[in-house]
Amino acid sequence: MLLPIFSSLVLLAPPAPKYPADAIAPALRENAHAVVRAYDKTVVVKSASQLVETVHRVVTVLDEAGSDDYGQLMVDYSSLRHISYMRGAVYDAQGQLLHQLRPAEIHDQGLGDAGGSFMRDLRMRYADLRQPTTPYTVEFDYEIVSENTLFYPDWRPQADENLAIEGATLQVTTPTALPLRFEEQHLPAGAASAPVATATQTTYRWQLPAAPAVEEEPLAPSLAEQQPDVHLAPATFEVQGHAGSLASWQSLGQWVYQLGQGRDALPPALTARMAQLLTTTPDPRERARKVYEFLQGSTRYISVQLGLGGWQTAPATSVATGGYGDCKALSNYTCALLKAAGLPAYVALVGAGAEHPDVRVNFPSSQFNHAILCLPLAAHGTVAADTVWLECTSQTEAFGYMGSFTGNRHALLLTPEGGRLVATPRYGAQANSQLRRTDLWLDASGGAKATVRTRRLGLAQDDYAQLLQEADPVAQKKYVGNHLRLGHFTITSLRLAAAPTSTLPGVVETMGLELASVGTVAGRRLLLTPNLLGRLGTLPAQVGPRLTPLALPTPGLYQDTVRLHVPTGFRVENLPLPTQLTTAYGVYSSACTTLPDGTLQYVRQLETRRPAGGAPLPAARYAEYQEFRRKVSHADNAQVVLVKTDA
Amino acid sequence: MITKLRLAGSLAALTFLLPGRLLAQEAPAPVKVVKIKFGQPEPADFDAKSFVADSAASGVVLYDYGSTRFRLKGTNFQLESDRVTRIKILKKAGYDLATIEIPLYHRGSDEEKLVGLRGFTYNEVGGKVEKVKLETDKGFTEERTSNIRVRKFTLPNVREGAVIEYAYTVTSDFYFNFQDWTFQREVPTRWSEFQATIPEYFDYKMLMQGYEPLALQTSESQQAQYNLHTEGGFTGGSGLFGGGGSGRVAASNEVITAQATNYHWAMQNVPALRDEPYMTTTRDYVARINFELAGTRMPGSGYRNVAGNWDKINSELQNSDEFGGQLGRVAFLDAALKPLVTQYPDPAARAAAVRELVIKSVKYDGTNRYSASGPLKKSYELHRGTSADVNLLLIAALRQAGLPAQPVILSTRAHGRVNETFPLLEQFNYVIGLLPLEGGKDLLLDATEPLLPCGLLPQRCLNQTGRLVGSKEQAGRWVSLTPAQRHNHYQEIKLKLDEQGNLVGKVHEEHGGYSAASVREKLQQLGEKKYVTELANRHPSWEFPAYTFSDVAELSKPLAFNYDVRQPAGTSGATSELYVSPLAGFGQRQNPFQHAERTFPVDFGAANKDIIVLTLTLPQGYTAELPKAASISLPDQGGRYIYAASSPAPGTVQLVSRLTLDKPVYGAEEYASLREFYRLALAKQAEALVIKKP
Repeated sequence: MLLPIFSSLVLLAPPAPKYPADAIAPALRENAHAVVRAYDKTVVVKSASQLVETVHRVVTVLDEAGSDDYGQLMVDYSSLRHISYMRGAVYDAQGQLLHQLRPAEIHDQGLGDAGGSFMRDLRMRYADLRQPTTPYTVEFDYEIVSENTLFYPDWRPQADENLAIEGATLQVTTPTALPLRFEEQHLPAGAASAPVATATQTTYRWQLPAAPAVEEEPLAPSLAEQQPDVHLAPATFEVQGHAGSLASWQSLGQWVYQLGQGRDALPPALTARMAQLLTTTPDPRERARKVYEFLQGSTRYISVQLGLGGWQTAPATSVATGGYGDCKALSNYTCALLKAAGLPAYVALVGAGAEHPDVRVNFPSSQFNHAILCLPLAAHGTVAADTVWLECTSQTEAFGYMGSFTGNRHALLLTPEGGRLVATPRYGAQANSQLRRTDLWLDASGGAKATVRTRRLGLAQDDYAQLLQEADPVAQKKYVGNHLRLGHFTITSLRLAAAPTSTLPGVVETMGLELASVGTVAGRRLLLTPNLLGRLGTLPAQVGPRLTPLALPTPGLYQDTVRLHVPTGFRVENLPLPTQLTTAYGVYSSACTTLPDGTLQYVRQLETRRPAGGAPLPAARYAEYQEFRRKVSHADNAQVVLVKTDA
Repeated sequence: MITKLRLAGSLAALTFLLPGRLLAQEAPAPVKVVKIKFGQPEPADFDAKSFVADSAASGVVLYDYGSTRFRLKGTNFQLESDRVTRIKILKKAGYDLATIEIPLYHRGSDEEKLVGLRGFTYNEVGGKVEKVKLETDKGFTEERTSNIRVRKFTLPNVREGAVIEYAYTVTSDFYFNFQDWTFQREVPTRWSEFQATIPEYFDYKMLMQGYEPLALQTSESQQAQYNLHTEGGFTGGSGLFGGGGSGRVAASNEVITAQATNYHWAMQNVPALRDEPYMTTTRDYVARINFELAGTRMPGSGYRNVAGNWDKINSELQNSDEFGGQLGRVAFLDAALKPLVTQYPDPAARAAAVRELVIKSVKYDGTNRYSASGPLKKSYELHRGTSADVNLLLIAALRQAGLPAQPVILSTRAHGRVNETFPLLEQFNYVIGLLPLEGGKDLLLDATEPLLPCGLLPQRCLNQTGRLVGSKEQAGRWVSLTPAQRHNHYQEIKLKLDEQGNLVGKVHEEHGGYSAASVREKLQQLGEKKYVTELANRHPSWEFPAYTFSDVAELSKPLAFNYDVRQPAGTSGATSELYVSPLAGFGQRQNPFQHAERTFPVDFGAANKDIIVLTLTLPQGYTAELPKAASISLPDQGGRYIYAASSPAPGTVQLVSRLTLDKPVYGAEEYASLREFYRLALAKQAEALVIKKP
């Protein structure tokens, strides 16, 4: 391998400028905070248990907004991932060397406090080459030796918005006996070269041409889903002596399953206690619920990520004695408890998080960050077969509920026969609903008192369930207050309570409000928007043509009923016209009527839809969607006009 | 009765010094000292009745005890601190209270060491208390930085209703760094107690801060014994008891008896500490006692003043290599500075030019320090440095350019307020420059933020007061950091109404002072297009056909933003009338003070001014019913809101909304009026005009 030329001998000759900023094509400067001049990644698979990743990355920082992200380099490492070297240099706009990074300027830091991890051996080294004036160019070189071959590096040169690239390359060399698996995404034609094979190894090459900076647009798929990317994975691998195959989901599941084998033994007393449930609670679902309640009442989540411990569960006995564990340990423990209670279940791996993209199903590889439990229930009597999914790290989650954290996606079941990719529960609009009833007593000066009762079900209650379980009343009031879009208000009372249906968790929020100037005084008239709390959030304005596809949020059902008690001395002069909209994006209706006792009743319902399911829609549909939102917004903001009767 | 220490309206009352001799006189009425038996919880800890008043809390600290004493390790003093904590876990949300992190500092061969860790969890199961021991080998040690090692452990079997307790001892070679004691946490504390036994050799200053009263405060003299062990061999007089001479010494053990003072403080039923908007840092508000070594009085030698007074701090800084030592010649800037001296005869203009040069030479890396990280030449060559590297270079460069600039040390808002009665360098974490100008005015200078004009300090520095470090020992003085500049926002709006109720017009917006700084910052991050998109997001129905920004880079001028706007008609009422609230979209949308209660002062950093002048042209022949004028003043000349509506010519309406807040900081007792002030301002801005056809 060639050593980068950092020798002082070079300084004797006048140095040739490197990466001068003015060599960047004008088109690449457009909307760019920084331009990647070179991004060359080399991956050499040494053996089933070791790979070496080398990166050469040169970025010209064009303005201050690009400085923090690109003028510094952070590389993480752990007990299975070592940094061989980190080098850097910075050049001025003309490409003259300003400074060469010295080893003493590389900082080293533990990352243990990030993300609430209790035990984690992840650390990072970082170097700061930010400059007081832009443009400037940083050049970084580093090499990582990884003994965690379950994961191969990714290659996504244009990972951020406002970043242009002049070009990038990826080269992977692997022994013939260890074939490479890869999945290409959004690659331009000609990006991939034909693999070159020798007797002992094969080399793959990819290359990206120059590309201008992109800007994220509202309601768009994440950049990660839109930009060119090559995902790499091994066919076979070995981590700390545990060999496995990624040929299929089955084989990946097999490997993880075997790591956990024999770790499900429980203390005999606990086994007996669970077995007793067989007689006291014959109904399997009810029995599973009892086991889950036992788990939630006696354990808590503590994250542990040390070496192989990132995939291998701690023994069930350690959870039984200490009362804590991470997602794998708690799922494994629960699986053992259920087994003892005559309910065979499977641990399942999942990519958790509301923003986590679903598994790329055609590319078996480790795409997971969490473990849950899947309990199939056979049909018995008149009860049909069913599957119960359990989140074992939460002490408060509803039995059988996945929510936005792990619902609506794929999970990998770990069975004795290997892995099986299955779908977790789907939550549609009905399982993401918010029903609200507001009583509003208006006074003559435009102030009001209100009582509000909101029931949220399914996904819509996820945040509120957390608020109910984890926040004290003062913090609850603060959160609810921060989410009210009202000019001036005082929350006089607030109460949250669990209100599940038979199938979904729910939270009811009961609130008293004092509102100042909720009605607008206009001479003898009072104007008021009866849709006090349920106005649909605004759609970010489109500036210029829409470029990226449209990704709509999860469908939901939102219903508001407002009873407006008209102050004495006023009569209704004008009511908003009823609105009815039926589109592919949603169904909307609103109407305001006068009840026999003179009270105004405003009823509004919106059910949002996704015409293509979760798949993004073409950019051209944005205008149509915008029009729908504009009409909803217009109707939502319609006003009631009251007028004084005494003159 | 316990004296309540909260003195409304006076910020200085937040902290007070505890002079040793006054302690006995000021001691509150005695309370019963709470004692626990480690390993044996009280039955009441498992009785739900004991926690009825804590229904809101996720946990309660039942008992928190610390004590620090001195001991000799060989001939050197060490600090030895015990900690005993017992916590009731009430809710699952409180489980985090059972995971403990203890940062331990080490430097060279000096270190802090954790010994004797032990702990238990108690759960009531079927009427019986079940006790589980903490297995200390299940802990985890993380080398967080090269000087900080974090010991972590988590108690086993933690459930709702559990009682956990743990105890440990930390020994420390850093007796200069006598750890403070915090009485208050994010959960309520029943009893928090601290004891310090300090031998006559050490003189510590003690500073109490916070809003909570002490339940116990005593001090008594006692005899203390220290075991002095001298190694055999040649000694060069190292260690506190090393003596003056050197020579061959045999190993020896000796017991030394000294006078010591045993201080004792406790608080009872301390409420949870909560974060509020417009605060500096909770560190400024938490109930806490701080210690600072003021001097030593070793046997055989007189009193040696270690921290002492501000004059001493002044000389210490002047003589320090990393501070005063850096303010000499900066030869490497000679060539760049010379032309500036001739080009700018005016001191203020020259200072601005020198500052510009420093900004372009060294980038602030985000680290706040009051002393340099190394030679200034090094940061100059690296083009990067801490706040001290940048601003000490600025001061040195100003001096070299013939301007008598002086350093002012301060504490950033996130670092906490400076207490003037406590001469303690650790209170500071930042340095800026001060240049006296003609007419007795001082120009405060900082070169860390390229987007700020000369003379405007970064927001992080707006923390009331700084300390000027004079070139002579007595020349130090306090300098007010309260800025003359405000958050200044001015809008001039010209709108035309048509018969359908649509509004079309032009807006001229100016951001001055701190408002300009934040808009420039935002523009740098977002770019103009996204900035306008964000504005559009706040007004979904509005259209912005054209916009321009000017004086974005002219930092000394207000930033101007001009745009055209189209607002479609709202709901029409009676056909013969139009209702428009033209100001509503241009003012603040929400009262910034949403919450009805407030415990701590509101600290904006700078004063505020927000003015809107709106001229509305009515459709031909229409007339407008004008809203009533209003004027609202805050008590104590704190601020004013003025609203006026007039018709300067037939067919036109002028609305003026003028909000000024003249103080950077408002006491908690002023909060209600501040909130009401905003409510009224918002109500007036929302008021509708009734526009009538003839």
